[in-house]
Amino acid sequence: MHIPDGFLSTPVWVALDVASLPAVGYVARRAGSKLEESRVPLLGVMGAFVFAAQMINFPVGAGTSGHLVGGALLSIALGPKAAIVVMTAILFVQALVFQDGGILALGANIMNMAVAGVLAGWLPYQLWGGGRFRSAAIVAAGTLSVLVSASLAVSELLVSGVSMSSSVLGLSFALFLVSALIEGFITLAVVKGIESINPSWIQKPATAAPAVRALTASSVVLAGVGVLFASGAPDGLEHLSEAIGIAGRQYTLLPTPLADYELEGVSSEWLRRAAAGLIGLALMFGLCRLLAKGIVNRRS
Amino acid sequence: MHHATIDRWSRGQSAIHRLDARAKILSLLIVLIAVGTAPTAGIWRTGAGFGALAVASASLARLPLVGVFTRSLAVLPFSLTFAVIVYVTGDAYQASALLIKSYISASFVLLLVSTTPLPHLLRGLERLGFPAMLVLVIQYLYRYLFVVSREAQHMRTAAISRGFQRAGFRVAAGAVATLFARSYHRAEGIHRAMIARGFERHIPILAAERLRLSDGLLVLLTLGIAVIIRTGAMR
Repeated sequence: MHIPDGFLSTPVWVALDVASLPAVGYVARRAGSKLEESRVPLLGVMGAFVFAAQMINFPVGAGTSGHLVGGALLSIALGPKAAIVVMTAILFVQALVFQDGGILALGANIMNMAVAGVLAGWLPYQLWGGGRFRSAAIVAAGTLSVLVSASLAVSELLVSGVSMSSSVLGLSFALFLVSALIEGFITLAVVKGIESINPSWIQKPATAAPAVRALTASSVVLAGVGVLFASGAPDGLEHLSEAIGIAGRQYTLLPTPLADYELEGVSSEWLRRAAAGLIGLALMFGLCRLLAKGIVNRRS
Repeated sequence: MHHATIDRWSRGQSAIHRLDARAKILSLLIVLIAVGTAPTAGIWRTGAGFGALAVASASLARLPLVGVFTRSLAVLPFSLTFAVIVYVTGDAYQASALLIKSYISASFVLLLVSTTPLPHLLRGLERLGFPAMLVLVIQYLYRYLFVVSREAQHMRTAAISRGFQRAGFRVAAGAVATLFARSYHRAEGIHRAMIARGFERHIPILAAERLRLSDGLLVLLTLGIAVIIRTGAMR
């Protein structure tokens, strides 16, 4: 799902470029200062590995075959920060050399696959990768990673006004679910294979508090149910897309109070909406940081 | 292979090849923004204008026209799929706009990478403020892409010659894990070799890094042409 240039509307690609390029820059700087220097060539070679691994076909029955996407595998093997950097590098090379994905749309693709995809793959492994459900956690990591990336890409296209009928949307979500499950099982098989060669190449998941696990489990279930609901009831999704976007292209990135009162003093229509969306994101981020701080302080 | 040809093209000799990477990156961004923000009304005229600009730049750079414009078709699997979806949904005009915009954008990106060697391009990005660490990782990725891909091909040949006509799921997973292990070892070896040769987190390139008058002219010219095409298409 590499979105080419020309598909996203201007507010969408501007907002995602503005959001994801500094984010990746920050992660790269953090990863660069924290990692020992020997990790830098490793990250590049791991990017090359993902490219080459995609040439190896996995038979999945019914005469079809799939291949590794890699976001979840990288986050399990290298940790999320390094995986984000490697995936971003892969997306750059794909966009520049292989015309796979656009340049203006790079922010969107980085957000979908490098940031959200990697984090979605990291979360289940980090939470349950150490316990009894380790295998299930790895399958969930691969599945969620692909599902989140694909859903984000489709939502961005919808918000950009690319018209898709509800039946097409339902069908594509069913296809995403299948390919996401395939990625989950491929990730599990490859992680097991790597561990049998050298267990120290796979990151050990930290032990999380039960409350955090329960919270995350419920959010993952909610997200999963949301996707299932969307694929099972395309009319609901159609309704949703009517409400958030296509009709009159009135859309909001987040259903916050900011959505209604657009910023005054900014002349351009879309600039106001994009700014409102970004401020909403920033507010949510700040809120989460404060909450996290509170939780940490109480526990220590 | 695809990339090898582009690599050869990028080392050609022409006025466009000699320009600074930063100027070419900025010009590309101007064109991409002009194409990307073009309204759907009058998209055919916008497309024709920028298409002519692409052809003119490619011939100025002495690139094989057929080669460049067939390679840009790499964008079609995605855009054609979605264009068909949009067409079936009932918006034929939007479908054609999506196809034109994505194809024109892809061919301009191809023009940039086939007139600028990738190391120079990445150095230009770094000079424009890109995180140095990210640029370095991309450098490594591009350098070892072909080495690791060939390793994967060798492994496939070896498997076939040992009777694995169609590898099973477990076998494929084992192959990927082995590839991972070999890449890991290779990265360690590379790092030791680079330390031994005095590497300082920076890959030097042999190119002048001073912006010249012609670089500024390129950016201004691109801006002017983009504005002319866009206003011309509006009428």
